Amino acid sequence: MEELFAPPAYEWKRLSPKYRSLRRLTTVLVAPILFSIPAILVGVLTGQWWISAIIWGCAAVIVVLRLLLVERNWRSWGYAEREDDLYITHGVLFRTLVAVPYGRMQLVEVESGPLERAFGLASVSLHTASASTDATIPGLTPEEAARLRDRLTELGESQASGL
Amino acid sequence: MTQQDHSPPPGTQATGVAPPVSGAPTVKQTERPHPLTPFIRGWLVLVAIIVGFGRDLLPNGSNDRDLSVSDLAWVLPVLSLVVLGAGLIGFMSWYFTRFVIDDEELRIETGALFKNSKRVAFERLQSIDVIQPFAARMFGLAELRLEVGAGDSTIKLRYLSRSNATQLRDYLLARASGERASRAQATLGPAASPLTDLTASDRPIVTITPQRLVGGFLLSSEWLVTVTITVVALGVAALNGVVTYALPGLIPLLIGSVSMIGRRVVAMFHFTLAESPRGLRVTRGLTNLTSQSVPVDRIQGIKVSQPLLWRPFDWYRVDVDILGYGASAGENNESDATSVLLPVATSVEVQRALDEVLPDIDLDAIELHRSPPRARWLHWFTAHTLRYGWDDAVLITEHGLLSRVRNVVPHAKTQSVRIQQGPLQCRLRLADVHIDTPRGPVNAVARELDEADARALAMSQLDRARAARKLDRNRLAARRSPRPAAQLGQTLPERSGDSPERSEAAVLAHLGIADDAFLGAGSESRVFALDVDHVLRLYREDHEGPVQVAAQLRALYDYWAATDPGFEVPRIVDAGECAGRFYNVDRRMSGRNFSGWLAEAPESERRVALLSYLRVASSIYRLPSPVAGFARLVGDGAPEHFPSLAAVLSAQLHRVIGASQARLTADLPEVAQVWAQWHTDIAGRVSLPYVVHGDFCPANAFVSRGPDETPVVTGVVDFSPHTLAADPLLDVTGAICFLELESYPAAAEDAAWLTEQAVAQLGEDIRPWIAVYRRFYGFYFSSAHRFDQRLYAWCLEQLRPSPVIGPSS
Repeated sequence: MEELFAPPAYEWKRLSPKYRSLRRLTTVLVAPILFSIPAILVGVLTGQWWISAIIWGCAAVIVVLRLLLVERNWRSWGYAEREDDLYITHGVLFRTLVAVPYGRMQLVEVESGPLERAFGLASVSLHTASASTDATIPGLTPEEAARLRDRLTELGESQASGL
Repeated sequence: MTQQDHSPPPGTQATGVAPPVSGAPTVKQTERPHPLTPFIRGWLVLVAIIVGFGRDLLPNGSNDRDLSVSDLAWVLPVLSLVVLGAGLIGFMSWYFTRFVIDDEELRIETGALFKNSKRVAFERLQSIDVIQPFAARMFGLAELRLEVGAGDSTIKLRYLSRSNATQLRDYLLARASGERASRAQATLGPAASPLTDLTASDRPIVTITPQRLVGGFLLSSEWLVTVTITVVALGVAALNGVVTYALPGLIPLLIGSVSMIGRRVVAMFHFTLAESPRGLRVTRGLTNLTSQSVPVDRIQGIKVSQPLLWRPFDWYRVDVDILGYGASAGENNESDATSVLLPVATSVEVQRALDEVLPDIDLDAIELHRSPPRARWLHWFTAHTLRYGWDDAVLITEHGLLSRVRNVVPHAKTQSVRIQQGPLQCRLRLADVHIDTPRGPVNAVARELDEADARALAMSQLDRARAARKLDRNRLAARRSPRPAAQLGQTLPERSGDSPERSEAAVLAHLGIADDAFLGAGSESRVFALDVDHVLRLYREDHEGPVQVAAQLRALYDYWAATDPGFEVPRIVDAGECAGRFYNVDRRMSGRNFSGWLAEAPESERRVALLSYLRVASSIYRLPSPVAGFARLVGDGAPEHFPSLAAVLSAQLHRVIGASQARLTADLPEVAQVWAQWHTDIAGRVSLPYVVHGDFCPANAFVSRGPDETPVVTGVVDFSPHTLAADPLLDVTGAICFLELESYPAAAEDAAWLTEQAVAQLGEDIRPWIAVYRRFYGFYFSSAHRFDQRLYAWCLEQLRPSPVIGPSS
């Protein structure tokens, strides 16, 4: 099973360690906020605050579970640039390894949202003509993201082939 | 050379001979869609409204808010208002839609308030459809629909006259396949039949009879499911005695079935798959006639499927992935492009169609591998139907028990490869391998493979895809070049080379040239001695641009063959292609390269030769220009005309300055002022347009011994995209200032001496203009910062601001 998702050669390059902090923060923020809306609505409208408590309890369980998984999720990410293809792997329960030939890349995108920027992170996405090519690498340092983008664009141009 | 030699010979600029350089008219002709367009669109709105309201007007008993006939009193005025509005909008959109489809570009401009201009590279066209909705069809009009690939919306041109639409389609298909067709030729093609949109040159491969179409529809799973639900619902209602109440609930089902009949039967009526000179053509439709044209190499994947009840009849359905088709939301709308290659066909017909799409590939010969038996845990009934296999051209996956599906993906079309594994699969040591293709019906997944097999399949598929892409690239490059050499009278070998070295060796071996015949190399080509009188110019692999330039130069050289300007110009006697490489056979110039000669010549001879070099530079203008006025004579889109000298030179600079502007600004902060100053200066220059070499330097001149053994410059080579119809002083300046770049020690000294000679011959008033043209060359060659630091340093030197430069100061 390790062989199935082994790097094509050498080692996987890993994401920035700061990505874990970002994941922890979003975990702590997102689920409680999402669950609080129905909880408060139910509580105010019906007065049955014990239902709200159950909803909040669910939120707490989800937060704890996701916090436990942050480390494993971070460790599951990896990418490798080889001569002709870019390899990306991720996923803990549902694992994926995607290989994108440079010659098939249509577009390379670097994105960084406000939260990511606060942590000094950026993500790089590759697009091919296929919508199912899911090749996004999150949690890179901006320098690494820019380097990767330039390198991929350069390789993509030199190996580009018509559709 | 004397002063009056330089005065223009009469009649040079307006030679009566037609220009030999192929090109477009000076003013672009934009076209508009057919003037009936707004009426058709208004009519379509009217029909839509009538159908919409009509549904409510029909008495169906159960509907409690149906309209009565008295309501028509207010319905009709509102209706006419809406139709009028739609017509007005249609008129505006028609009025502001313009398009250009000519030998150079495909451009569409739309929008009244927000102007939108879209220019599409011909190579990006994926498929071209001609669609005739019923109303348009009655007026002999058609819509042209262009798919331009991933991420871009469909381009719709509606409506054109049918003949215009089909001619444009043929022309665009030719260009999409990389041919250098001309629009004028396309109008000569055979006319298409209005009933089937097939021309005499189209060969039908498969025609689906109405009986089979209806039969296939009645036995299709979708139809049977709908019918079953209806019958069961009615039966239950009848048992409970509430049929009248159940009827309204069946209306959605009824509408669903009607639209299904529309999609599967009416839209597919008279379905014909034909082979046209430029790929496959699908024509279909009872009321709306749709004709789709797809170049075979644009097909990204194929899906062959067979529902359960089609099995006794040996019927199959074939779908294909085309870029752009999948993006439209409705998969099988009546008039929209569909991905259906064959709606209902027998295995023989399917095979015939596949032979066109995947020539020389026997899908049944491919060895198929099964998923391991433990896949049963995940796919209880279908595990034994999961198969995958490949050969050197395609990959196949199969699945399905009731409805059998086979997906075929050519290796070259593999967009990416994914291995996926869920938690259960992880337990069973199984994994899926996805071969990603553009959005569409094809979804090639090798399911439930043993882990080791999955890994091996994914990795080997990447290798196969890479090899196939490379093969595709080479094939494309080979097809884009002109036909092989006729004059050499030899059958050329099939393209064999993958590496440039190998293909070069193949060409040389074929033409019987020894390796030591190598004479020299330029940025685009390498030159070999062929025999006493000829040389072979072999272009680099990536030769799209040079091929066009070579064709224009050949025409230009032929045009000049009749004149004697006092020096030799090149002749191209043959051109062709061999082993994927494009080549020219040029007449061999007499003498030797002036640059090499200068480096070795004694000083006494050098000055003599330089004087003749200057004389040649100032007589290049004697070559007749093929066009009147200022122009760029060679290169993409040439001849390009300009109203003035300043315009043509400025345009030349704008073509290159983008690549070096940032670097120049960094190295020389004042460059913006110099740029502005240069433009002011050049506006003051008065000159008639003559042929200008544009890059006349010692390396592009040939020197021979005259009758009295004195060295004389006798030839000028390498006319190029730098060549213009402009001020002859440009070449005089070039001759002087490029001499400075020669590597022999006294080059700078000689250049200064040559400047004085030029001024002495042509008059003191050219001195400031030499300074202006030096700056022109400084800007023009400044992109050298990427490949020639010495040349770049020279450019910077020319561009330094100085107080005394320029005639206006």
